[in-house]
Amino acid sequence: MNLLRTYILPRLLQWVMVVFVGITATFLIPRLSPVNPVDEMLARMTAFQSMDPDSFAAMRESTIALFGLDKSPIEQYITYWSRLLQGDLGPSFGNFPRPVSDIIATALPWTIGLLGTATAISWTSGVLLGALAGYYHNRRWAQVIERFVVVAYPIPYLIIAFVLILIFAAWLQWFPLVGGARGDPGFNWEYISSLLYFGFLPALSIVIGATAFRFIMAKSLTTTEIASDYVQYAELAAVPKRKIMLYYVARNTMLPQVTDLALSLGAIFEGALITEVVFAYPGIGFITYNAIYNGDYNVIMGVTLLSIVGIATASLLIDLLYPVFDPRVRLR
Amino acid sequence: MGTIIETNNLRAYYITKAYGVERTVKAVDDITLRIQEGEVYGIAGESGCGKSTLLRVLLNAYEPPLTVVGGEVIYHLDGERVDAADMTEEHQRDLRWRTISYIPQGSMHVLNPVRRIRDSFHDFISAHRDVSKSESFELTANYLRDLGLPEKVMASYPHQLSGGMRQRVTIALATILWPKLIFADEPTTALDVVVQRGVIQMLKDVQQKEGSTLILITHDIGVHANLADRIAILYAGKLVEEAATQTILENPRHPYTRFLIESLPSLDSREERLSIPGRPPALDRPPSGCRFHERCPLAMDICKTIEPALIEIAPKHFTACHVVEEELSHASAV
Repeated sequence: MNLLRTYILPRLLQWVMVVFVGITATFLIPRLSPVNPVDEMLARMTAFQSMDPDSFAAMRESTIALFGLDKSPIEQYITYWSRLLQGDLGPSFGNFPRPVSDIIATALPWTIGLLGTATAISWTSGVLLGALAGYYHNRRWAQVIERFVVVAYPIPYLIIAFVLILIFAAWLQWFPLVGGARGDPGFNWEYISSLLYFGFLPALSIVIGATAFRFIMAKSLTTTEIASDYVQYAELAAVPKRKIMLYYVARNTMLPQVTDLALSLGAIFEGALITEVVFAYPGIGFITYNAIYNGDYNVIMGVTLLSIVGIATASLLIDLLYPVFDPRVRLR
Repeated sequence: MGTIIETNNLRAYYITKAYGVERTVKAVDDITLRIQEGEVYGIAGESGCGKSTLLRVLLNAYEPPLTVVGGEVIYHLDGERVDAADMTEEHQRDLRWRTISYIPQGSMHVLNPVRRIRDSFHDFISAHRDVSKSESFELTANYLRDLGLPEKVMASYPHQLSGGMRQRVTIALATILWPKLIFADEPTTALDVVVQRGVIQMLKDVQQKEGSTLILITHDIGVHANLADRIAILYAGKLVEEAATQTILENPRHPYTRFLIESLPSLDSREERLSIPGRPPALDRPPSGCRFHERCPLAMDICKTIEPALIEIAPKHFTACHVVEEELSHASAV
């Protein structure tokens, strides 16, 4: 009971505060931007035909009323919360009246598939290779990997993405330029293989940088760890190397790595904006980009809400689970 | 009782090369020691005199830049004469903890912070004996009980123990397999005096139980007075005096040893203690002749040029000092 009151409850409250403040901020920011969803929509409608000014003004009025933007910001804010608490994210303004939750539900599996796989691959390989390269730092293969990573890591993401596109999509034409999959969705080899085929380049572009980052982190953590008194002492006592690597080095470097993994998994929900735009991949990042472009308040709100909840929940879980990983974290 | 470990004219230097500039630090220079089985041998001297370097070499656990450039370290284990330099990696790993063990400084964090004490014990025991987890736990529990440590430390993590308790657990961890030869490097440093007392008592118990040989390194003469049978005084990488503890404390001959002993506080007199003038020399360019001559109030001309040899001035009392040598020759001439 004491644990609940002193450890769990404050963190749950913190979670609620973060989500509340985050939602309020994302409510305000698009409304302060110069892009207006009504004008964007009317501009699209009148792009190829003229309309007489009076009916244009009337239409503008009715659209504003339809979107609920004629009310004061306070009223809109209250309406938003009352709808949100019923699980309703409201309609999209860009694709009126398609509900935002529907748009997100369509895009989310793409992003989870792409980023989930990329995060799993880059975290596992980065952490493993980094730990091995740190532990066997005198070996030749470790030095070769490190040189490679040190060169790859500082290359800006956009350049990696474009070089991959140029080489594999434009020049060799091994992989498609844009898109998510081919054929009708279904659990058949044709569709699933096309998912891998289309997802390969975007995933690779993310994996390169993310692996390099985790490799560097894991290697430096391991280097610090093998110089620690307890590793040196266990080596002196001739404790088997495999045991030292596992229970003395890796076990201790895991602590920050687990935090990193949880936050990365939480961050999946915000999508990979640049990747998805560059590869025209139909995920969360892509709809976010379009929503910002069109001033689609409700989609921006929906996506941001998802990412705030994702990250806040990930850090809440880390906080709650950390005592399991690190005995030094005392329950205060 | 025979000799268990000896060094002959041991020289161990730190040789570093940076940007083409070679630098040699003569941390251990021409040291010859014979340590007897079952004794407590103290090595004393101020910081930077080469105590810990000597210990690393005696333990045969050193890596470049530390290099043995001359002399040898010989172990006499189970009637076998083993040269440390010829030992295979395997033989070395085999000896560790079962025969030769090491107690680190009290301030060091040698216990894995994310492992329970009993699991650390199991790691160290199972590295040398074919035991199951429950067997090591039982062995550990019995040993801790023998040494008067509470059994609840078994399930604790290192951070849950006090500094003194951590050091006691470390001593238990180092000696759990009853090694014949135990090296202890500043085992009481960084502990307060009350805790020091307990740790010293525990070292005594451990050493006496099986008659192990304890090589004790500390700058604290008080600790040596409590534990050591014989004391060696190191100055700037050289052995300057060696004798039984009683002799060193009551009748030190080398001027440096005298300064050390005189600087000890005592309960009888409350006057201010004199410190040794000057500071220890840098070992990359040690002074010529006797390395202490720059700080020695008795220094003669010969001290500046010729290195004094270690001579036996009384039975089992060795010192390396021209002044003492001259006094002796005068005394015998009269």
